Amino acid sequence: MTEVPLPVPLPGGLDPCVLPPGMVDHQATVGGLLDHLTGTGAEVLRALGFRTRLQILARAGSRFLDPADPLRREALDRLPVDADLSEPGARELLDGMARDWTLDRLATALRADFPDPDVLDGFRPGVRGDRLRVLPPRLLVQVGAGNVPGTGATALLRGLLVGAPTLLKPGAGDRVLPGLLARALHDESEALAQGLAVVGWRGGEGGDLEQAALRRADRVVVYGGEEAVAAVRALTGPLTPVVVYGPRVSAGLVLADATGSDGVVADAAAAVSAYEQRGCVSPHLLWVQAGGGRSPEAWAEALASALADGARGVPAVASPVHAMRALRDAAEFRAAAGSGDRVWGGPADGWMVLFEDEATGADPRPFEPSCLGRTVRVRPLPDPGTLASVLAPMRHVIQSVALEGAEPGRTTTALILARAGVTRVTTFRDQPWPPAWWKHDGQGPLAALVQWVTLEPADRAGPQ
Amino acid sequence: MTGSPIPGSSSILEDLESEGASLRDALLLLMGREEAEGVEAEVEALALRVLRYQARANPVYGTLLRNRGLDAGSLEHWTRFPPVPARAFRDASPYIGGEGGKGGDGEGGKPPEAFFHTSGTTGTPGVHRVRDLSLYHASLLPPARRHLGLREREPVAGQESGATRVLALLPPPDALPTSSLAHMAGVLVHRFDDGGGGFLLSADWDLEVVRVAEALERARADGVPVLLLATAFALVHWLERSQAQGASAIRLPPGSRIMETGGYKGRSREVERPVLYHALSGALGVPPERIVNEYGMTEMLSQFYEPVLEEGGPADPSLRRHVGPPWVRTRVLDPVTLAPVPPGEPGLLCHLDLANLYSAALLLTEDRGVSVPGPAMDHTPGFRVLGRGSGAVPRGCSLSLEAWMRASP
Repeated sequence: MTEVPLPVPLPGGLDPCVLPPGMVDHQATVGGLLDHLTGTGAEVLRALGFRTRLQILARAGSRFLDPADPLRREALDRLPVDADLSEPGARELLDGMARDWTLDRLATALRADFPDPDVLDGFRPGVRGDRLRVLPPRLLVQVGAGNVPGTGATALLRGLLVGAPTLLKPGAGDRVLPGLLARALHDESEALAQGLAVVGWRGGEGGDLEQAALRRADRVVVYGGEEAVAAVRALTGPLTPVVVYGPRVSAGLVLADATGSDGVVADAAAAVSAYEQRGCVSPHLLWVQAGGGRSPEAWAEALASALADGARGVPAVASPVHAMRALRDAAEFRAAAGSGDRVWGGPADGWMVLFEDEATGADPRPFEPSCLGRTVRVRPLPDPGTLASVLAPMRHVIQSVALEGAEPGRTTTALILARAGVTRVTTFRDQPWPPAWWKHDGQGPLAALVQWVTLEPADRAGPQ
Repeated sequence: MTGSPIPGSSSILEDLESEGASLRDALLLLMGREEAEGVEAEVEALALRVLRYQARANPVYGTLLRNRGLDAGSLEHWTRFPPVPARAFRDASPYIGGEGGKGGDGEGGKPPEAFFHTSGTTGTPGVHRVRDLSLYHASLLPPARRHLGLREREPVAGQESGATRVLALLPPPDALPTSSLAHMAGVLVHRFDDGGGGFLLSADWDLEVVRVAEALERARADGVPVLLLATAFALVHWLERSQAQGASAIRLPPGSRIMETGGYKGRSREVERPVLYHALSGALGVPPERIVNEYGMTEMLSQFYEPVLEEGGPADPSLRRHVGPPWVRTRVLDPVTLAPVPPGEPGLLCHLDLANLYSAALLLTEDRGVSVPGPAMDHTPGFRVLGRGSGAVPRGCSLSLEAWMRASP
């Protein structure tokens, strides 16, 4: 295994292969890379301590927000091609992602998962005389997904923040930012860069590295669909913890008192449009409560208008025109049959709103996803109490719900959503951009990477 | 679709029924005709009549036209009519039941003679309510004869008599009353089987390798060419089970052929067609160029076949095309504009099927395809299915519509 060469970086500069300083990619072997990460890499990251690592990571991450920095310019040049985004869409994405790569926000993320972050560097007092510390995995392997560019870079930052030597395989469509971030980290600290490698390969061509890395990993993180997750699990040791960010869907809910707000409509349009709706946080279906400033149908029409405005500023790219056509024509046919459905936009517009009326007195329709590509369903929701039954079949896949409305309705409804499986209740404004400290799919993303160690007191008097 | 009766006197309804009956008779004649001369023009004329009839007799289709500002009477060619999306069969199943216009739900009009359900693997199952099975049977027989090499049991004067053993790797139709495939297989067994064939799966799709082997062996011993009808999934399942049980290969009599259909419909594993055909060839001694793919949809009553028996191949499935009978026209449309794409460009498949006289004759599918000319001037042009028009890619941590449909009960 040690003699197996690494996958060669692919032409065009899109597939990153960023190795620890001193390793030359055409000579490096799979075994050599993994030995380096678990040896030198682990030692250096430990020696730096979390405070220094945080400073280095934030310096590198902040460069993506600096308009004068050539790294940001390169990212903006390459993202549209690599990730199938328009130029304004790429800028919006980079701003949204990189805002979490700053000192303040990375530090907040650390405190959110470790209220006493010194547990990362040494034993700290626990309860009743116990002392606690956390240890990073000796080798963290992260397998990214390509649907939202930037998630790979965030994953890399998370791993290094907790001191884990990290091998990242970015997803197709997310190769630019991890590669550039790794390069920035090399520039900031050759020492820290000993603990990271970003290696991309085309599906099925990473065989030896993938197998060896997953077998040696202490912890594995995988982002992706069912098949990607199953493939990674199959190669990972049976007792190795695997953190799965599997397929999820998100939604929105506008309570009656918020339906009159133009700002909410604009924010909802932005949430639907961000990175072409490809994220697990992107809303598929929006429920609108009747009895407010706008009827659900009028709200849907206002949303359509906002989406049309948005598409003028940030044009849609790679719309799923076949699926949009099918949904649009079926809705038109239902409307002709007297259903009350309405459609705005369509495959020619790069966005689409399907207003799906409920028959009076009928049970709420089950959740149905959208085909994405800025396509969203809007349905009336007479009573938020019915959400429990609507969401029951999907409690394992529903993730974020943008909930707009005043208190106390917002908190009451949030509890209904939480009990139905929703792990993040947010606003449309923030929906596409979960903060660095969010509980990703219900758990702390940094805490998910480490192992806690308890040192119990040696006091012969016994436990107190 | 349970629209209200068109306002007006009962004479309008009578006129419509009379027009429907007249079209039905014309279609039955057309489907039974052997000679090709004049068919092209007749189909064009009938298509316009059928769609104008549907716009009047089907209130929902009529409304769809009106909502688009179209007047059926003024449209001069069938291609000007809007297609009905295949998905419409899920929530407003088109049906022309005649008097009362209530769609055969017991509230007047002629009730359907059959209800065919879609597989349901792509969401809510749809239903095709078939008012007149005789049209369905008339539409399925000529292409089956032509593309599956079938001859009636009773020798027809002047035709070569060719006995066929029709074996269906399917449950019998009475166990699957809502399956159009089982119904079609039932018609083929009834009409063409030499008396030794039939259905090889139990009502609950249970596959007994021994039972299948016995049936195949009997056909071999009798020296009667076999037509094996099966879904691709059942064939894969049968091959795996046979292999696991150490069953030996068999050489079916010369002239045997296989009709495979249906794909995998979200099943857990798929086998590439060349691999499947190679395995079937090895197991049954039927060469790949005698394995015919049938492409059908519950939403349309006519079927498409690969004309490989007639044209002698090709063996490679990726080089083949599907062709329909004369009363079916297929267009490849741009999904954005619904205008025809240039020849050879991919687009959405849109079929005109006049056998759908009492439902929706002009259907927009969700399948991507490309038009393919015939290999020679006198060969029927056809199309190749490229797959389903899917949602946005890549999916990653966002649940795809397809995965959702697979996971939904």
